[in-house]
Amino acid sequence: MIAALLDLARTHAPLLSLSTLVIGAALAIAGAGPRLSWFIALAAALASAAFASDMALRLLTDGEIVLTIEGAALFPDGVGAFAGALLAGVAVLAVMAAGASLGDYERRAAPFALALLLLTAAGWIGALMARDLVGVLIAVETAWLASVGLVAMSAQRAALNGALRMLGAGGVGGAMFVLGAGLLHHGAGALDLPAIAAAHVERADAAALGAGLVLLGVALKAGVAPLHEWMGAVLGRVNAVGALAVGVLCAIGAIAVIVRLAAYLLPSLAFGEGVSIALAVLGGASVVIGSVQAVGSHNLRRMTGYAGIAQAGGVLLCVALASPAGYAAALVQLTAFAGAALALFGGAAAGGVQTLETLDGLGRRAPLAGAAIMAGAVSLMGAPLTLGFLGRWRLVEAGVGAGWWWAAGAVIFASLAGVFYGGRLIERLYFRRAGEVYAGARDVWRWAMAPMLAASIVVIGLGVAPAGLLAAADAAAAHIAGSVR
Amino acid sequence: MTPEALTIRLIVAAAIALTAFGAVAAWVSGNAIKRLAGLVAAMAGAMVAAAALGAPDALLGGAVAIVFATVAAGVALAVRLQEAYGAIEAPELDQADRQDEASERAP
Repeated sequence: MIAALLDLARTHAPLLSLSTLVIGAALAIAGAGPRLSWFIALAAALASAAFASDMALRLLTDGEIVLTIEGAALFPDGVGAFAGALLAGVAVLAVMAAGASLGDYERRAAPFALALLLLTAAGWIGALMARDLVGVLIAVETAWLASVGLVAMSAQRAALNGALRMLGAGGVGGAMFVLGAGLLHHGAGALDLPAIAAAHVERADAAALGAGLVLLGVALKAGVAPLHEWMGAVLGRVNAVGALAVGVLCAIGAIAVIVRLAAYLLPSLAFGEGVSIALAVLGGASVVIGSVQAVGSHNLRRMTGYAGIAQAGGVLLCVALASPAGYAAALVQLTAFAGAALALFGGAAAGGVQTLETLDGLGRRAPLAGAAIMAGAVSLMGAPLTLGFLGRWRLVEAGVGAGWWWAAGAVIFASLAGVFYGGRLIERLYFRRAGEVYAGARDVWRWAMAPMLAASIVVIGLGVAPAGLLAAADAAAAHIAGSVR
Repeated sequence: MTPEALTIRLIVAAAIALTAFGAVAAWVSGNAIKRLAGLVAAMAGAMVAAAALGAPDALLGGAVAIVFATVAAGVALAVRLQEAYGAIEAPELDQADRQDEASERAP
């Protein structure tokens, strides 16, 4: 009986990985108190991660999974399954860590914050599995509006100002997406992703403009430079849960959605080359602008956000190569960024860090938070034996293989900038005397952050033994390339 | 070009212009409500263009739902901004944020 139920659940894994999060959000709101809601939210996130991981494992090892009735709306391909499992895992760690920060909310508001966190994850996972552009649009906007609500719930009023900017940027992105989808349908005659890839394009100009607008609409939400005006205002003042939602879930989700959409749009002979050039220009600009802004930043969360922009630029450069090697490199970079972002945002939350001055001596006062921040900084530098190094190495390999030497140069520039701002963090952590008393939480719930910090260090350490990750990324890239063919 | 095709082109051109104007207003406007109005204009323009180009009903229905959700979130945000700052003009909000940051840094 139980085996039959498990088989049934595995058959509907794409739907269940989404619906458990949405149902969990509804139940979390109905919870009697913040702690009960937290347990419900954590159970939902764990169940979703189990379904997403199982599905990714089967898809990437067996090559395909059987889709039943939900196949009409959901189409998990290699990139969607890989990034969906990554995002579901990140959501588990974020919800777990939120347990340490529930005191930031009023008692009545905490369940709503947890529900919005789950909906943010559900939206991005939904966009990674949607079969057509309508599904992607609705899922992306759900995730975005949930994260805007989460930011607006922060205690500091400055977060409201950030939420307003987020809403404006996201709304413009949504309008671009709708217009782009309309043009793409006009040009290629389909909104279904596999059908677009295989379509005989009659109006190449309209389709090219549409594809560009669709990708630009999501890039606005990923905070890719120079479209990241909202990011500094949000990350500088938002609380810990909001920072995890925007800085980690939204950033990774949006970049992964760009990778997935690009994998379907770039192979088109009619407009793929133009879209590839646009992505490469955006990626190069993002690497340079993000790196420069990270160097000049004095707030740890803002610095991490800007460093994330540089990482996102690297991912766009990988994707612009429009080859399985490029998609695999993008997925490795995405995983490396997930580890670094969790380490830095989590370490900042655990150590009560806002500005760089408050990092002084943190390595001795809060060893785990200090170790996580150091690991994140080392990964952002692209130091050898870290996943950050591996991601950049794969990009350099793929770029040089395609004759894109300038892309390799952009990555080296990002690493040099990373040495400057990452090195500054390590110097403050371990080579300075503390200027003020430890500002972190003291209650037992602070340990809820520990799994996230430990996991981030482990992910970054995967650079030492990356065979499994590389094999999964290669299989995901090969799968989506095969789906498109 | 047939008159029908010309009409469709004109409608699409006007709708794209509306989208562009709305997007610029949503991006640069100082007032939260004007920003929201810009968003609605941008989304309306995008929907009209998509409809004129023959996009499926599902896309238009989804876009309408998104506009309603965005407006609801935007109005709630404007009310909270007015309560917290006593203003909804971006320059005033930024000025208040700068003062908050300066007072936090002061010993």
